[in-house]
Amino acid sequence: MKARRLLVTLAVVAALGGIFAFGLLRGEPDRDLPSELIGRPAPSFDIPLYERYQGQYGDVLSLSEYLGERPLVVNFWASWCAPCYVEAPVLQSYWQEYQDTDVLFVGVQTQDKGQYEEGRAFMDQFGLGFPNGIDDDSRMSIGWGLLGVPETFFIDRDGVVREKHIGPVTPEVMERQLAALLE
Amino acid sequence: MPLELGVVGGAAAFLAFAVALYGAVVGSLGAWRRDARLMTSARLSSVAGFLLATVAVVVMQTALLTDDFSVSYVAAHSRIASPIWVKVVTMWAALEGSILLWAWLLSGYTALLAAIAPLSPLRPWALAIMQGVQTFFFFVLAFLANPFTVLAVPPLDGPGPNELLQNHWMMAVHPLLMYLGFVGLTVPFAYAMAALITRRPGSEWMTVTRRWTLTGWGFLSAAIVAGGWWSYEVLGWGGYWAWDPVENVSLMPWLTATAFIHSVQVQERRQMLKPWNVMLILLTFSLSILGTFLTRSGVVSSVHAFGNGPVGPAFLAFFLLVTLGAFALLAVRWDDVKDRAELDSLVSREGSFLGVNVLFLALTFAVLLGTLFPLIVEAVSGARVTVGPPFFDQVTLPLWLLVLLLMGIGPLLPWRKAEDQLLSRNLAWLLGGLVVSGALAWVLGVRKVYPMLTVALAGYNLVSLALLLTGALVPRLRLATRPAVVVIRRYAFENRRRVGSMVVHFAVVIIAVGVAFSSGYRVDEQLRVDIGGSAQFEGYTLTALDTFMEQTPGRISSGAIVQVSRDGAFVGTLRPRLNVFGAGGRPIPTPAVLYRPSHDVYLNLNSTVGPDTQFVVLRAVKSPLVTWIWVGGLVLVFGVIYSLGGATRALPAHATRASTVAQEA
Amino acid sequence: MTAAAPVGPAVRRARWIAVLLACFASLAVAQQVQLENRVYEIAGKLRCPVCTSESVADSSVQLAIQMREIIQEQLNDGRSEAQILAFFQERYGDWILLDPPKRGLHLLVWVLPVVGAILGVTALFVLGRRWQRRSHEPIDVDPADLARVRSELASEET
Repeated sequence: MKARRLLVTLAVVAALGGIFAFGLLRGEPDRDLPSELIGRPAPSFDIPLYERYQGQYGDVLSLSEYLGERPLVVNFWASWCAPCYVEAPVLQSYWQEYQDTDVLFVGVQTQDKGQYEEGRAFMDQFGLGFPNGIDDDSRMSIGWGLLGVPETFFIDRDGVVREKHIGPVTPEVMERQLAALLE
Repeated sequence: MPLELGVVGGAAAFLAFAVALYGAVVGSLGAWRRDARLMTSARLSSVAGFLLATVAVVVMQTALLTDDFSVSYVAAHSRIASPIWVKVVTMWAALEGSILLWAWLLSGYTALLAAIAPLSPLRPWALAIMQGVQTFFFFVLAFLANPFTVLAVPPLDGPGPNELLQNHWMMAVHPLLMYLGFVGLTVPFAYAMAALITRRPGSEWMTVTRRWTLTGWGFLSAAIVAGGWWSYEVLGWGGYWAWDPVENVSLMPWLTATAFIHSVQVQERRQMLKPWNVMLILLTFSLSILGTFLTRSGVVSSVHAFGNGPVGPAFLAFFLLVTLGAFALLAVRWDDVKDRAELDSLVSREGSFLGVNVLFLALTFAVLLGTLFPLIVEAVSGARVTVGPPFFDQVTLPLWLLVLLLMGIGPLLPWRKAEDQLLSRNLAWLLGGLVVSGALAWVLGVRKVYPMLTVALAGYNLVSLALLLTGALVPRLRLATRPAVVVIRRYAFENRRRVGSMVVHFAVVIIAVGVAFSSGYRVDEQLRVDIGGSAQFEGYTLTALDTFMEQTPGRISSGAIVQVSRDGAFVGTLRPRLNVFGAGGRPIPTPAVLYRPSHDVYLNLNSTVGPDTQFVVLRAVKSPLVTWIWVGGLVLVFGVIYSLGGATRALPAHATRASTVAQEA
Repeated sequence: MTAAAPVGPAVRRARWIAVLLACFASLAVAQQVQLENRVYEIAGKLRCPVCTSESVADSSVQLAIQMREIIQEQLNDGRSEAQILAFFQERYGDWILLDPPKRGLHLLVWVLPVVGAILGVTALFVLGRRWQRRSHEPIDVDPADLARVRSELASEET
């Protein structure tokens, strides 16, 4: 009887300990939530572009023109977001390397209402060559199920979302994802 | 070279750790060997521990008040421009400082206990347990979250404490109340452990700690209400309870402690439920540590989480150790603790207390499950799920209503067994109260189920209180030779515990009605108001007269001056604003509230205000009867204080045991 | 579903800063939409995606403000509460609902409290019965028990 009671106590405490240890090891909750969009056709949007990209891509970039035609890398960023400054040079260097393939990068400034000057300064700082526009009312954020910035979506030739990367992209991530998109 | 404050504080924290460890080890050893010298030494060490902890607190306060940024905590959390009161409370505005506060209060309680607790075989063990808990806190303070680290290159100024905390004076009070509650409930825990260790599972541990328990419970209750009021005044969404994990973890020990203070009365009167009561107090303490772990580790997502570091794992280890140790000890000692419970009828006072136990435990379970469920699901299946307010409301509301139901009938039931005649007379009255107040609510236009039931149960509870009072007073008045006032005053003074409990129950009724209406009939709108123009809200006209800017030390505010009127008559002026603390700080929306007995009008600014602002966007909330929650909280505290004056009722254990045996023979 | 890329501690920290900023730094820039009570009722059932444990109704983050406006627009278009919740659920998954959907594993969180309460009440009655029986039949005490009680009593008195 005594042994059984002890055993039950031990089992309960061990179960609790296991769950909490899992919680501790997992790190912050909710930060690497799998996207609902993966495996589904990417939603379209029409994004007003910054002046410097308008000559080549038009005043407004319609994603639907490219979806199902070319592989896409859609990157969401904001001028107040510190990790975005970490990943911008990575994105730019891969854009330079891959701009002659048919993959297209699209930058979306989001959750950053009215911060146009800050946006321009951001693009100046990293000399971003791929088209960037602003999602002034954060509708694209919501439409794409964003949990924060930066987040980067990789969309294949069929217009299907292959992967979402949360947090700043690294060269390893870009290598792997671009290889998958272009295979 | 002058001695640096950080060095002194760090040394005090380390010495406090060493002394607590000494007290715990030597105290246990002394109690084990019954060595009076060791026990006395341990007892005195608790005073030394308190003095050392006080030195640490004084050092911290000095560093904060003199802006000594060579102390890491001050550099990380204080700011020169803050007003003095903010600097004082900055001590518990972040993790390290709050552990210092907790450890200091704990050492104060231990020293007080050492000074005033009656000599008994339990005392040395209880003190050793207290010092053991203290050892953990000072260990964390000295080694894992040391606020006294000396910075070689101190900054010229710091960022200041979390803006949400310095935005309201309640932040000076709420954490203090919370820790006083947790620390207070450590005392009955320590005594219960002592009772288990010494195999003296009678009622001594419980009667000795009655006042400590009640004080702790009172502080915890006050802390929860005060925290609600802080949320209401600061967070800007017009509510006071969001079922955030931080709130849940403060509620859980409160729930088990509430079960405990009811359940111990059964043991006091009937010498039963001994193992159950021990379990409840172990659970209460264990849950208070669990709460600290959950909120300090970032394991569950919470608005108020203090962040990561080695403190989370340390609290987890301590939680597991305490839980395992305490419950394993209970399991080993079960045969000593278990009593021969006897019940004449479930329809009795003890029966109702048993019911209350079940309800509060069910509530604790539901809250715990809801809080941990996302974590459990993720651990088991990897899926993500959120459990939020709608879940907690749906699951706990029926249980709360049942609590109200038992609260009305329970105190009217006599011990052992209710006589049918008296019972049915009382039930008729109660039912009458239920139906009449329910009908009254209907007539007044209440149609929603929960507010309706709450009103009905509130009326029923008022009738119950009236029956209790008349039942006690009428015979006394009838036999009295002195004026009624004297008789009533005498009754109130001689039955402080009973009267105190009636006051607390009355407060619970007030709070229940406030909660039911403020959540059931709240109206929430967002309005755009041009400066100089007005908007309609729930029968009120809100006129934005002007915008304003003002600067107080360490704070810049901008906002709108909104005149509230009804049917052309002036009601009040509100100034919802944005507060900015320090250069580059973010604006904190700070709501303005028009407190009224029937309903509050609550305005929060949802737009920025500048010199050329043309319009403001206001979130307007009408919250019926919400003020009564705070009033109820005050009444509750009064009831607890009143009841603390009462004597401890301790039936001599032998007498009851003997009579039981006589019955059997 | 592809495996998530490994995330190092530094990145985590950076990410965490971003989240904090998202939650706090961007306060409502003037919105111009009037919102009715119904919007807040629905928003209270949704979790603010960039915050920790705050509902869309309670948060003052830009994204939450925008979501409230979307809810108002959809209400204006005559969509029902269920449709609006589904709109967000489709994009964010079950996670966005503060009220876990009553199916699959999630059912447990709804069922267990009820089971717990029922078990509690059952235990109350079973124990109550047992204790009542004891008190009603005081004569039927096992002599061994009685002897034990007496010896215990005697030992306690010494």
